[in-house]
Amino acid sequence: MSEIIMPKMGDAMTEGKVVRWYKKSGEAVKKGEPVAEIETDKVNLDLEAESDGTLGELAAQEGQVVPVGGLLARILGAGEKDEPQRRATDQKDSVKKTTGEYAEAIETKGPRRDRSQPIEAPPPPATRGSRQRSSPLARKMARELGVPLESLQGSGPQGRIVAKDVQGFRPVEDRRPRLSPPSSLESKSIPLSAMRRTIAKRLSESTGPIPHFYLTVDLDVTSLLSMRQQLMDIEETKISVNDFIVRACALALRHHPNVNASWGDDAIAQHGDVHVGIAVSTPEGLITPVVRNADQKSVREIGDEVRALADKAKNRKLMPNDYQGSTFTISNLGAWGIEEFTAIINPPNSAILAVGAAEARAVVVDRQVVIRDRMKITMSCDHRVIDGAAGAEFLRTLRQYIEQPLRLVV
Amino acid sequence: MAEKSYRDAIRDAMMEEMDRDPNVLIMGEDIGVYEGTFRITAGMLKKYGPKRVIDTPIAEAGMAGTAVGMAMLGLRPIVEMMTMNFAIVAADQILNHAAKVRYFSGGQVDVPMVIRGPQGAGVQLSAQHSQTFEAFYGHFPGLAVVAPATPADAKGMLKTAIRGKDPVIFLESAALYGMKGEVPDDPDFTVPFGKSRVAREGSDVTVVSYGRMLQLSLIVADKLSKDEGIEAEVIDLRSMRPLDLDPVYESVAKTHRAIVVQEQWKPFGAAAEISASIMENAFDDLDAPVERVTGEDVPMPYARNLELLATPNESHVAEAIKKVMYRA
Repeated sequence: MSEIIMPKMGDAMTEGKVVRWYKKSGEAVKKGEPVAEIETDKVNLDLEAESDGTLGELAAQEGQVVPVGGLLARILGAGEKDEPQRRATDQKDSVKKTTGEYAEAIETKGPRRDRSQPIEAPPPPATRGSRQRSSPLARKMARELGVPLESLQGSGPQGRIVAKDVQGFRPVEDRRPRLSPPSSLESKSIPLSAMRRTIAKRLSESTGPIPHFYLTVDLDVTSLLSMRQQLMDIEETKISVNDFIVRACALALRHHPNVNASWGDDAIAQHGDVHVGIAVSTPEGLITPVVRNADQKSVREIGDEVRALADKAKNRKLMPNDYQGSTFTISNLGAWGIEEFTAIINPPNSAILAVGAAEARAVVVDRQVVIRDRMKITMSCDHRVIDGAAGAEFLRTLRQYIEQPLRLVV
Repeated sequence: MAEKSYRDAIRDAMMEEMDRDPNVLIMGEDIGVYEGTFRITAGMLKKYGPKRVIDTPIAEAGMAGTAVGMAMLGLRPIVEMMTMNFAIVAADQILNHAAKVRYFSGGQVDVPMVIRGPQGAGVQLSAQHSQTFEAFYGHFPGLAVVAPATPADAKGMLKTAIRGKDPVIFLESAALYGMKGEVPDDPDFTVPFGKSRVAREGSDVTVVSYGRMLQLSLIVADKLSKDEGIEAEVIDLRSMRPLDLDPVYESVAKTHRAIVVQEQWKPFGAAAEISASIMENAFDDLDAPVERVTGEDVPMPYARNLELLATPNESHVAEAIKKVMYRA
């Protein structure tokens, strides 16, 4: 007999929801076969049986939230009978199984797949009735330019997206204020998803106990924007301003190990590696995939990695390893035209950088009014770890990397 | 360079090769005393005599079979078919003998012969005499199949055919015999097989064609350039076998759209092979499906007005170009 219990997927996970059972009680299961779909706070997973047998009584029903280590069901060998069930929520009995015993019964493998679909196909965009048509060239160009096809309207026959639709795509245009169509108002309650619960819990844990303070600087990014354009021409690929900021922060953190640190009850932990989390918005909510050792990667490598992670985030395919372990976080709302904002620290980090839009502004240089590209950034600091002067020194270093971007390549 | 008609270019090529090589000879129906239905062989019997300019009975299978035997033993026969439609009678000799002898003999025996003659519509020869055969012969390994579109190519490619080691199906266009163009005088001027050429440079759309339809495509390209600012790149395939599509892929990489123009029927035609190859080799460059311009799927009518309706014309080509440019 082996037990199927709620697995612990990552440090932050305390409970998970049984989305559905693929097998009924009394049904035969084979090793490696998926038995249930589980919703954790970040991703959905298939639980796979690790032994052959018959599925016993189900201790958790579909939709039920079960603490980590809680019993979900047993797999019975030949001739075995199910024991009287302990309740799935009986955590006292099951907690001791969270450290590895569950692996005997269950192997978790990869993100959830919809078993009703024979082939793994991405679901069609919700707003369109049928498959979005696009020409091969349009797809190739969109891939190279990093333009999401879903954001385009096709001008060809039957709405086919063709090359000129991709060429005509300007993310800037999307930022023009545009009213979304009004929806009819109705009273309704939206059940909290596991992800929404986690966001609420973690951010309350952050603003409550962590004494935040904020430092804002206005940076000149004229050189950085021109360097970005040159790089895109050379590399023939999309590189975002944020990719430069990730590298600049990673390099600046090497000068300031006191910022690359975490508060602990007995000690402040300074980290030996620089792992930069990037806040990514998904339809379900916020998640922060991590670029590991960002200080050792080029802007191009960072850009490729961030886009791959963002894709995974949008498809709910991130694995715990993709979003855990950051030592510093960046949140960029520049693409939404936000000039400046403050962000809430993502524990156990001690700081988060809120990045506004880069835009041309009139500034005074040598007592003359000139037009320069400027960008405001605001760092939120955990005052228990970082004092005001320490935060200011970090920003001074960061300013040097961003305003003199050649420093990013030497 | 001298200006010559397509017809004279073909005659010059044969006579220059007969002067150069005593093993070259020609046989066919009414080519000697009558000097040819299309007057391609005018003056040849007088110059070379009946041993090298042979009037044959109306027996295409016999002509082709005789030529296979001559070629196997070292002669270089040219067989003129009064039209290529009549060569259907000789299909067994051409497909099962001429095309197979080298293979069956383990490479010991070549069959250096040329089967040439006019094909295609446009001169009111009705259903049995207006067909085109590039897709038919192009299907069979062992043959070379060419369809020159200009007097210079007609001369240069026929000389390559006569000098080569392969059985060559040399497809002339009856409607082009009167067409004039610059032809090099050099008796050793030849045009190799399997080398497509860019007949007109352009950046907006690739038009692939050969033979008479190449001339139609060029006329449309010039018109669209003048009237609508569309610059079509026109590619002349010249030969079906060997088929050189590299210039087509290069062009599509630039224009991202292509049409193929052929005179024959659409099902299983040359354009099907060409457009499928473009999709296999240049898929990611395409911004629109490859469009085919073809003849109507009917036996060719005799009546002039109906013949014009059944063959591709300027507006068919222009419409296809605009369709792949999403301007239709």
